[in-house]
Amino acid sequence: MSDLHDMEMRQVYGITLNKLIAGNPNVMCLEADLSKASGTNPTVAETNPGNFVNAGVAEANMIGIGAGLAIEGKVPFCATFSCFASRRVYDQIYLSVAYANVNVKIIGTAPGITQGPNGGTHMDFQDLATMRVMPNMHVYSPCDPYELRAMMRHMAANVQPTYMQLVRPKVTPVFNESYAFDPEKAVVIREGDDVTLVSTGYITSFAVAAAEALAGDGVSVDLLHYPSVKPFDVDTLVTSAKKTGAVVTVENQSIIGGLGGAVCEVLAERHPTRVTRLGIPDRFGEVATEQYLFDKHGFGPEHIKEACRKAATVRT
Amino acid sequence: MSDEFDKEAAGHVADEWRYIVTDMICRAGSGHIGGALSLIEIMHTLYYRVMNVDQENPLAPDRDRLVLSKGHAAPVLYVALAYKGFFPASLLGTMNADGTTLPSHADARTVPGIDATTGSLGQGLSVACGMAKAAKLDGQKHTVFCIIGDGESNEGQNWEAAMFAAHHKLDNIVSITDYNKLQIDGFTDDVLSIEPLADKWRAFGWEVFEMDGHDWDDIYTNLKKAKSVIGKPTMVIAHTIKAKGCCPVENTPGSHNVKVPDQEAYDKFIGGLTTQDVEVPY
Repeated sequence: MSDLHDMEMRQVYGITLNKLIAGNPNVMCLEADLSKASGTNPTVAETNPGNFVNAGVAEANMIGIGAGLAIEGKVPFCATFSCFASRRVYDQIYLSVAYANVNVKIIGTAPGITQGPNGGTHMDFQDLATMRVMPNMHVYSPCDPYELRAMMRHMAANVQPTYMQLVRPKVTPVFNESYAFDPEKAVVIREGDDVTLVSTGYITSFAVAAAEALAGDGVSVDLLHYPSVKPFDVDTLVTSAKKTGAVVTVENQSIIGGLGGAVCEVLAERHPTRVTRLGIPDRFGEVATEQYLFDKHGFGPEHIKEACRKAATVRT
Repeated sequence: MSDEFDKEAAGHVADEWRYIVTDMICRAGSGHIGGALSLIEIMHTLYYRVMNVDQENPLAPDRDRLVLSKGHAAPVLYVALAYKGFFPASLLGTMNADGTTLPSHADARTVPGIDATTGSLGQGLSVACGMAKAAKLDGQKHTVFCIIGDGESNEGQNWEAAMFAAHHKLDNIVSITDYNKLQIDGFTDDVLSIEPLADKWRAFGWEVFEMDGHDWDDIYTNLKKAKSVIGKPTMVIAHTIKAKGCCPVENTPGSHNVKVPDQEAYDKFIGGLTTQDVEVPY
């Protein structure tokens, strides 16, 4: 078992950034007064102070600085809470990064309901959706430490404006040391015939558990994990939907526009299939535990199982 | 260099640029004439006397950079770059035409010699900070120039960048405010005053110079001085006249973006210029 296995995701983020800097001194770590929350302070700040830039509580400026650094050949990773990294600086990302097509990596930490105690003001359920509709952007959500590391290596090695969600605490690993990331490919974690279950981000570990439990109940799940919601691997989804005729999506996001939205768009055009979207409905967040929000909005492990069971009985 | 400068010849070039900028906008049917014409002498001085650039190698690592944060003034930048030989001047006539590489706002993706893509106001100084920071990290000695508008100075992001540049002692930034006293909805003092502007920048830790943005000597002297400031970024406040040289709209709020729907309007704008006998290069 690797040392990554038991690390907090933000620890993996900081350590991986240090390794990337060691391999390429142009890699930069940008923060907006949340560097401890992102896991880069002291990890990166002390090991690579020359590559660490704190913009202060000025997210718009951080994105612009990132764009300027990228124009000059640097590879800036700019992190802040996902609510600030997406909706607060949407125009800065749109114009100075995506439209200008410069190599900035934007990291939205504590996505969706993982903002817990900070509550509704800090919860962003829309970043996968809002970033996905921006031309030139790649949009990723890693499910575990191995995928996070592989994704960051890919980001540092490729000239490509990118937005990545980063859940901060420990999560249940899904993959292992051998994992390789390809933004063009979904990962078929489990093959089945009764229902297609599609997930992204740390929710995938719940999907894995749900699929295993369903197998014991005689429901066989084709489990697709999408580390990248843009680019979106169309073929893997369509092939699976043709096989099962029933699709359930689950994500730590609004059911409007994110992974569920992407799945619906693809299937509507390529292979119309009934889709059940699990996530947060058209609501704002609130101060609460993850369990409370899973139960309230119906996208926890039990809800995933139930939705798959139902979907399998009303196949298209 | 200043000794060799032929003010009379430069004056003729400035008249020619005013004519071409106006003609480009007229052919396009509309455009941001005011904020382009207020920058004619400044842009000429930057590209001919102050900035180190190489049209044969537009991405030369040691070149000086320019971020035209008020991206709507792109027509004057396009003319300067074409005259310097960054791209054929024949392209100037295609501005805003379908499929053009010269859009209304400055575009680094399609125009050789442009260092940053701009158009959404308030973002350019942040980008300039990133470029200047990169230069410091890499031990490069060039200067990053950044032109912002007075109306644009309403945008809060400028002041985030102002704090950052001073904190990081980015003395390789020379910013210029095109202070023509007008923004889209009227005079800046009526819409949202930016005064006391010099004091604001000083309070943010910047060196501040003021100049007449249409006086060749004043522009050259202040930009050279700004380039040599050590330990802090510099703001040069350029007092200018919006739409300078185009009589029908000079110093009027309406000059921000003019519509040129027909020959009559074309004749009005072109006829309002001091020089008429210009052969456009397209």
